[in-house]
Amino acid sequence: MSRDLEWLLIRKYNSNVVKRLPAGPLFSKEAGNLLNIHSHKYSGLANSKTITIQEDKGVIQIVTRKPKALPHAVSSGVAKSSLRNRTGPRRALGATSKQFKSGYRPDLRRAALARTSALLSSQKEKKPRPVKKPRGKKAVAVDST
Amino acid sequence: MASRPTVSIRSATGEASGSLPLPAVLTAPIRLDVVQQVHKSIAKNRRQPYAVSEKAGHQTSAESWGTGRAVARIPRVGGGGTHRSGQAAFGNMCRGGRMFAPTKTWRKWHVKVNQGQRRFAVVSALAASALPSLVLARGHRIEGTEEIPLVVSSGVESLNKTKEAVTLLKAINAYTDVTKVSNSRKYRAGKGKMRGRRYRQRRGPLIVYNEDNGIVKAFRNLPGVEVVNVRRLNLLQLAPGGHLGRFVIWTEGAFGLLDEVFGTFDQASVHKKDFTLPTSKITNPDVTGIINSSVIQAVVRPANSKVTKRPWTQHKNPLNNKGVLFRLNPYAKTIRRQELLKQERIKAKKAKKPKTPSSAGKEFLGTLFAP
Repeated sequence: MSRDLEWLLIRKYNSNVVKRLPAGPLFSKEAGNLLNIHSHKYSGLANSKTITIQEDKGVIQIVTRKPKALPHAVSSGVAKSSLRNRTGPRRALGATSKQFKSGYRPDLRRAALARTSALLSSQKEKKPRPVKKPRGKKAVAVDST
Repeated sequence: MASRPTVSIRSATGEASGSLPLPAVLTAPIRLDVVQQVHKSIAKNRRQPYAVSEKAGHQTSAESWGTGRAVARIPRVGGGGTHRSGQAAFGNMCRGGRMFAPTKTWRKWHVKVNQGQRRFAVVSALAASALPSLVLARGHRIEGTEEIPLVVSSGVESLNKTKEAVTLLKAINAYTDVTKVSNSRKYRAGKGKMRGRRYRQRRGPLIVYNEDNGIVKAFRNLPGVEVVNVRRLNLLQLAPGGHLGRFVIWTEGAFGLLDEVFGTFDQASVHKKDFTLPTSKITNPDVTGIINSSVIQAVVRPANSKVTKRPWTQHKNPLNNKGVLFRLNPYAKTIRRQELLKQERIKAKKAKKPKTPSSAGKEFLGTLFAP
């Protein structure tokens, strides 16, 4: 079964497609779709090589489909590597781009780096906001007490 | 195909123990259009007739008042003493009238589908259920399973208790799909609630067995799970909604029987009369791979240079452009030259000759110089 044919079978209808507006963009929510765009190039299903960047309990994982895996393999057909907890952005982005140095889906490089960095920034703890100083009437009330 | 791929059999604890060759059905051509069309037709075969009452809207003795009373000529209810009298009746636009084209119980409810088409659709749906990407695209949670098709040992057929069935599904990482179903259970919108369709929910895995030694009772109470005998596979279960890629869990016996039930590409089926598997139009669907292969690339003509002639040049008017005119009509050059010469000659002729002063006459000079 060729991946082209698979794409033709899932292109028109599948459970991951998100159509919100009739004339709007077509999104897809499957794992392995780095840009969440419903297209053959970014599809996480109809490609023999895919990259999934996901977060599992605060740990960023890079999951790739093994190119030589049998077409029937599901969990045994993917290679998983996870970044150590609290990995900084430099190391995390380096680990992500390392995947592409061997020529594995170089077209997805930008998208993969963007996703890793988005996950990293989501992990950052928010700085507490400075306490608002009372102004006007409230300030007077605070002063009098 | 050099060697037939094999599928490993999972024991009750989820480990691989032994393997079976992949049945030929699971490599049959997948025709989405055939599956959808056949599904659409056979899904109609469960319908029950309905119609409005034959008498509805006609239980009155209304008659038209005819012309002359300044009202429409629609039949009107006769009599007096009630609001109904004088009101229009029968028409589909009338209050209390019959509907337009009242539904009849003798509508064509069921659709006949040719046996060959039905078998083709089932075979297609089975082949799709053996491809992980299509099963994932249908929405089944199979990320944890080792491989698709998922085959479990024949001992599963003698499970009796649902508790054991759950343990098995958890061991082979298929229980997530059942969880998905129970989470998806929602109240149905509309009248269906009072017609025995109170809830709606997703479909879970389809268990296919060879011999029922309790497996049906063990699995039947799990939400979304359906159990079916391998000899009675049904398109409505293999491709619910006409969407390919149902998650199928096979028992070893059922999986081994597939070649017998559906036959192979060169061997007729034992259970279905005169049936061999449909073959694909092309044996290798990887067309890009074929085109880029060294075998094809060695014989094709090398690509032409990318410089192409302009598809068309700007049209030039021979009446204005002399070059184009002379190309079309070489004599035009002579004509034009002759014309120019002629013009010049006329011009020369017309030009007035400057008056040359004539010498004065003898008589004049005699008087001029007279002493």
